[in-house]
Amino acid sequence: EEEEEEEGFRLLGILDVQNTPCSRDAILHGAGGSVTAGLLHFLATSRVRRSFDVGFAGFMLTTLGSWLYCRMNNAKLRVQQRMIQDGIKNQIVYEGTSRDPANKPEAGTPSGPS
Amino acid sequence: MAHPLQLGFQDAASPVMEELLHFHDHALMVVFLISTLVLYIILAMISTKLTNKFILDSQEIEIIWTVLPAVILILIALPSLRILYLMDEINDPHLTIKAVGHQWYWSYEYTDYEDLGFDTYMIPTQDLAPGQFRLLEADHRMVVPVESPLRVLVTAEDVLHSWAVPRLGVKMDAVPGRLNQTAFIMFRPGIFYGQCSEICGANHSFMPIVVEAVPLEHFETWSSLMLEGA
Repeated sequence: EEEEEEEGFRLLGILDVQNTPCSRDAILHGAGGSVTAGLLHFLATSRVRRSFDVGFAGFMLTTLGSWLYCRMNNAKLRVQQRMIQDGIKNQIVYEGTSRDPANKPEAGTPSGPS
Repeated sequence: MAHPLQLGFQDAASPVMEELLHFHDHALMVVFLISTLVLYIILAMISTKLTNKFILDSQEIEIIWTVLPAVILILIALPSLRILYLMDEINDPHLTIKAVGHQWYWSYEYTDYEDLGFDTYMIPTQDLAPGQFRLLEADHRMVVPVESPLRVLVTAEDVLHSWAVPRLGVKMDAVPGRLNQTAFIMFRPGIFYGQCSEICGANHSFMPIVVEAVPLEHFETWSSLMLEGA
């Protein structure tokens, strides 16, 4: 059976939050940061309009920060994944040969009671 | 291959394309944030109660809207330059294939070990078998071994063409009298479609590229069969 991929929901028609790694978390963190920053500012100053501005700035900064942090970790994971894949491939290809990665140099003969 | 109404890239089949996909996601997030900012500013400007908007100044906002674009550009430029240099890394190809563009078909030459060459023409729509893709299928595929670094030398016999396979992140102009080099490695077997990407005449849209990645032993079998049949 052919499975049809569902088109992900695109924020502003641009950002596919369902299929782009880290995007959903970044937007959710941004929303949380926005509400928190705006609310705290309003509670401190009682200025509505300025609190909205602070909330929006909080959204931008939190989204960007969460996005960059998640993408950095994602990139590190991908590098590790590639190294593991290469290691498994080398293990299979070179198993039983002199280039077998599992071959370790032999230890010297331990001395013991004769 | 692409499916109808597709907006995003196709899945990557080479490490370079995977990096390009990730960079595209990053750039798109930056674009999304900027668009949101612009939308918010428009809403704020529409709803402001200020009447003397055009005779105000503020050093703080001037500094912000000078420094912020520079920061955004650096955020985009650094990963972009990283991929640019990644694409130019010297690798040691296991196989070199020449792709020659003609009006209106591609020919491939595998001359590393034996003299193997063949032409590939698009399969006309009326000759397609059920399940085949219109305007994308060719009578011969460029078969390559999977997980092997490959070099493709692209040129043309007559006019400009361009050899492009989106899933591999490869596009190289075919210029008569010039050899352009591109390299890639495919980390999964499969069939990857592309189309000529430089206007070359009446049948420019009807000279597709089909790359088939197979395990090495299958590639050896295929090349032996092709040599016998030649």
